Amino acid sequence: MNWLALTSLMPLLLVASISVILLLLLAFIRDHKLTCWITCLGLAMAAFWAFADMGDAPQQVTPLLIMDDFSRLLGGTVLLVSLACGWMSYTYLETADEIREEYYILLSLAALGACVLVASNHFASMFIGLELMSVSLFAMVGYMAHSKQQANMTLEAGVKYMVLSGVSSSFLLFGVALIYAYAGNLNIDLLVAAEGPRLQSGYLVIGSALLLVGVAFKMSWIPFHMWTPDVYQGAPAPVTGFLAGAVKVAVFAFAMRWLMMAQGGYLDLLLLGLTVMAVLSMVVGNLLALRQNNLKRLLGYSSIAHMGYIIVTLAASATLGAAALSTALEAAAIYLITYASMTMLAFAVISQLAAQDRRFESGTLAHYQGLLYQQPLLAGALMLAMLALAGMPLTAGFIGKYYLVLVAVDSQLWLLLSLLVLGSSLGLYYYLRVILVLCKTPVGDSRLTLGASEKLLLTLLVAVTLWLGLYPTPAIQWVQLAIQ
Amino acid sequence: MQQLWLIPCLPLVGFLLLVLGHGRCSRSVARLVGVGSVAMAGLVTLWVALDFYSAGAAQSYQVQLWPWFNAGTLEVSFGLYLDGLSLSMLFVITGVGSLIHWYASGYMWQDPDYQRFFAYMNLFVAAMLTLVLADNLVLLFLGWEGVGLCSFLLIGFWHQDPANGYAARKAFVVTRVGDTAFAIGLFLLFRELGTLDLPTIMALAPEQFVMGANRPTLIAALLLAGAVGKSAQLPLHTWLPDAMAGPTPVSALIHAATMVTAGVYLIARTHEVFLQAPDVLLVVALIGLFTLLISGFTALNQTDIKRVLAYSTMSQIGYMFFALGVGAWNESVFHLMTHALFKALLFMTAGSIILAMHHEQDIRSMGGLRRQLPVPFWCFVIGSACLVALPPTSGFFSKEAILIASWQLPGYGPWLWLGGVLGAFITAMYSFRLLFMVFFGPQKAHPHEPKGWQFHPPLMILGALSLVAGWFVLPTATVLPASPAGHPPTWTIVVAIAMPLLGIGIAYKVYVRHQWQGLRFVQWQKLRQFLFQGWGFDGMYKRLLLTPFTTLAQVNRNDMIDGLPKLLIQLSRFLHGLFSQLQNGQLRFYIATLASAAIIVLALALKVL
Repeated sequence: MNWLALTSLMPLLLVASISVILLLLLAFIRDHKLTCWITCLGLAMAAFWAFADMGDAPQQVTPLLIMDDFSRLLGGTVLLVSLACGWMSYTYLETADEIREEYYILLSLAALGACVLVASNHFASMFIGLELMSVSLFAMVGYMAHSKQQANMTLEAGVKYMVLSGVSSSFLLFGVALIYAYAGNLNIDLLVAAEGPRLQSGYLVIGSALLLVGVAFKMSWIPFHMWTPDVYQGAPAPVTGFLAGAVKVAVFAFAMRWLMMAQGGYLDLLLLGLTVMAVLSMVVGNLLALRQNNLKRLLGYSSIAHMGYIIVTLAASATLGAAALSTALEAAAIYLITYASMTMLAFAVISQLAAQDRRFESGTLAHYQGLLYQQPLLAGALMLAMLALAGMPLTAGFIGKYYLVLVAVDSQLWLLLSLLVLGSSLGLYYYLRVILVLCKTPVGDSRLTLGASEKLLLTLLVAVTLWLGLYPTPAIQWVQLAIQ
Repeated sequence: MQQLWLIPCLPLVGFLLLVLGHGRCSRSVARLVGVGSVAMAGLVTLWVALDFYSAGAAQSYQVQLWPWFNAGTLEVSFGLYLDGLSLSMLFVITGVGSLIHWYASGYMWQDPDYQRFFAYMNLFVAAMLTLVLADNLVLLFLGWEGVGLCSFLLIGFWHQDPANGYAARKAFVVTRVGDTAFAIGLFLLFRELGTLDLPTIMALAPEQFVMGANRPTLIAALLLAGAVGKSAQLPLHTWLPDAMAGPTPVSALIHAATMVTAGVYLIARTHEVFLQAPDVLLVVALIGLFTLLISGFTALNQTDIKRVLAYSTMSQIGYMFFALGVGAWNESVFHLMTHALFKALLFMTAGSIILAMHHEQDIRSMGGLRRQLPVPFWCFVIGSACLVALPPTSGFFSKEAILIASWQLPGYGPWLWLGGVLGAFITAMYSFRLLFMVFFGPQKAHPHEPKGWQFHPPLMILGALSLVAGWFVLPTATVLPASPAGHPPTWTIVVAIAMPLLGIGIAYKVYVRHQWQGLRFVQWQKLRQFLFQGWGFDGMYKRLLLTPFTTLAQVNRNDMIDGLPKLLIQLSRFLHGLFSQLQNGQLRFYIATLASAAIIVLALALKVL
C-alpha cells in the first residue's frame, strides 16, 4: 500500500481512529461532552477530507476498497449523517439515566462500517462493512437497556434487529459463497473476465438472489421490511435517524456499485424481483403509514416507501443500457442525498423533543398537538421535513422526486412511474396529517426549552434541506462530477 | 420619462406601509401615508406630463422595467407605455383620486378600520395605474384583476353586515363573467398575432386581420364582454347598484370615476382591433344606448340617493360606450374625464349629505336642505348641471360632441342620435328630481353638516374643475382616430340643448310645484316595481341562472363524483388495516416472512434462467 493510497483512505482511517481514541480516553476520563466533541470533530474532519479529495484519481486500496469520487461523495454523505446523529445524540443521552460515552464508540464504528460498505468493490469488504455497521447497531438500538421507561422497547427492538439481521446476513453470506463458487473470485468487477473454476450460471443466479435478500433486508424493501417499524419505534431516536439515513445510503450505494456499475449482468437477473419489491414497497409502504399514529413508526413506513421509489433508478439503468446509465446513477445519488438531509431533519427534531419528554418518541401523535405554538422552531423544522418528504417544491424532496420521475419517463417505466405518483399522493395524506396535528390548538402549555447547539444543528439541517430545494445546481454539479 | 415607474409604485409603497404597519401607527400617520402617496403620484404625473408636452405631444414612450415571465414564444415584461390616452387616464386617476382620498380622510375619520381602508384604497390606485400604464395586455389584465379585487374588498369594507358581503360577492362574480371572456379574448389574440404587446398589436391588427372577418369579430366581442362586465353595462350591469354598499368615497373613486371606466379605456386602447370588427362596434353603440336609456328610467324611480347616482353612472358610461360605438373615440375619453370630475363631485356631495343626515340615504326623508347645507347644495347644483349637460358646463361640451358624432354615423346615425337625445332628456328628469327632492320643498330633518378642511376644499376644487373642464384639450387626438367629419343640421343642436331644459322644467313642475302628479311616479304599481328593481334583471338572472344552479347543487348535495374518491379512501383504509394486521410484532412470524420472501425472490430470479 503506497502513500497515495493511504491518504486517499484517510476518511476511513480518521473514523477508525475516533473509536480507538475514545476507547483509550475512557480508560482515564469519562466526560460526555468531550467524547461527543471528539466524535463530531473526527466525523467532520473525515467528511471534509472525503469531499476535499473529490476530483482526484480513483485509488484501489488493496483489492478490497476503491476510493473513487463515488465513494467520496456518498461516504462523505454517510459521515455527515453520522455527524448529525452524534450531534443530536448529545442532548438525548444527557437526559438518559444510562452510561453515555460508549455510545460514541459504537457510533463511530457503525459509521466506519457504512464507509467501508460504500467503498467496497469486493464481496469480502462488503460483508465486513455491513457486519461492522450492523453489529454496532444492534448495541445502539438496544442502548437504553437501563432506562426504566425505555428498557422494554429498546431491548425488544435490539433483539429483533439482531436476530433478523443475522438471518438475512446468513442468506447474504451464502449468496456470496455461491457467487464465489461460480466465479472463483470475490471482486464484483472482475466477474466476467474471471479465469477459474467456472461453474454453471445457476450458481450465479441463486447467489445473486440470495445476496439481494440481504441487501433488501437492510433497505427494508417489502417483503423484507417486517422489522422496520418495530425497530424504528424501539430504538433511541438518534439511532433511528442513523438507521434511516446512513444505513440506507450506504447499502444502496453498495447496491449501485453492484447492480449498476459492476460488469456482471446481475441486474438483468434480479430485475423482476426488484420490480416486484418496488411495487410492493411503494404501495404497501404508503398504505401502512396511512393511519399510523406513532411518528417514528410512521417515518419507518415512509422510509420503506422512499426506498421503494429509489428502485426506479435501478430498473431504469437496466432498460436504458450503458448510454444513459449515468442519468440513473445521478438520480439515485441525488435522491439519496436529499433523502438523507430531510430524514435527518425529521429525526433531529424528534431527538430534541424526546430528550425533553420520551413520550414524543414512544407515544402517539397526540403529543405533538399544538407544538407550533409551544416550540415554533422545532415544529417549523418538522413541518419542513414533512413537506420535503412529501416532495413539495422548494424543498430537497422535490428535487429528488423530480429526478426519479425524469428517469422513469426517460426509460418509459410507466408502471413504476404511475405507482410512484400514486404512492406520493398517498404519502401526502399522512405527511400533511402530521402538519395538521402540529397546527392544532395545544392541549397543555408546557414550554419546551432548546439549547444553542440544538438550534444550530436544526438551523443547519433546515438550511441544507432548503438549499437543496431552492438552489440545487451546485449539489447536482457535484454529483455529476462524482458519477463520471 | 424615467420617473414613470414611480407613478404606480408610490401608491403601492403606501399600501405596503399601511399593511405592514397595521395596528402600529396612528390615524394621522395613516392619513399622511394614504393621502400622501396618491398626491405624490399626482405630482409625478404632472412632472411626466411636462416632459411629455415639452417633447411634443405626438409620441409615445415604452419603458421596459424587468421581464416578468417567458413561456414558449410569449414574453411578458413589466413594461409601461405612455401616450396621450394613458396620460389622460393618469390625470383622471391621480387627480380625482387625490381629491377623493383627501375627502375620504375626513369622511372615514370615525371608522375603526381607518388604516385598512386607506391600504385598500392605495392598492386600488396602484392597480388602476398599472392597468392604464401597462404596455402589454397581460400586465393590463393584472391591473384589471387588481382593481376587481380592491373593488370587492372595498364594497365589503363594512363586512360586519352580511348584506355588504353579499354585494361584494355579487360584484366579484358578475364581473368575473366578463373577465373570463376577456381572458379568452387575450388567448385568441395571442394565437392570431403571436404577441400581447400593445403597441405591436396596434401595428399588427390592421395588417393581419381582414375587416369584418370572423377572427377579429370574435376577439373584439370577447374583449367587449370584459369591458361590459367591468363598466357595468347591459347585460352585466346588475352589480353596480349593489356596490353602493361600500363607503361613499369608494363609490366616488371606484364606482364612478375610475374602475368602471376601465372598460371604456380597454376598448379605446385596443381600438385597432375593434376597427376591424364593425359589427362589434355597432353592438358597442347599441349596448351603450340601451344601458343609458334603461338605467336612466330606473334612476327616475330610485329612492336611495346613492342608487340614483349609481344608475346615473351606468347611464353616463353608456354614453361613453355609445360614443365608442359611433366612432367618436376622442369624445368618449373626453366624456370619461368630465364624467369623472362631476360624478365624483356628486358622490362626494352625496357623502356629505349622508353624513349630515346621520347615514340616512332615503331621499324621501330629505328635503329643503339647501338652507342648512349651502356648500353641498351649490356643489350638487354644479354637478347636476354638468350631468344634464347644461351649457357651458363641462358635461355640455362632452355630451354635445358625442351626439353630433352619432348623427354623422352613416346608416343608423339619426336613430342613434334620437336615442341619445332621449337619454339626455331622462338624465335631466332624474338629476333634477334628485336635486329638488333633496334640497327643495319642506324641511324634514335637522342635518349636521360635517365641516373642515377635509370636506369643503375638495368639493370646491372639483366643482370648479367640473365647470371649466369643457375647455380642456386631452392629448388623445394623436392616439385615437378622429370622429367622422361634417356638420349636422343646426336644429339637431338646438334640440340637443333644449331637451335637458325640457326635462328640468318637467321635474320642476312635478317635484317642486307638485303639479302633473300623474308623472310623479308611474301610477301602475307593477310597472313602478319593475322600474324600481332595474327592469327585473336581477330577477331574471335569479330565475335563469341562480335557481337552476342552486337546485342542481341541492340535487347533487352528496356529490356523485365524490363517490369515486370516497371509494378510494375506503379502499386505502381497508388495505391499511389489512396490512397492519401483518405487523404483529412477533419475531417468529417476521422470520417466516423473511424466509418465504427469500424463496419468492429466488423463484423470480430463476425464472430468468
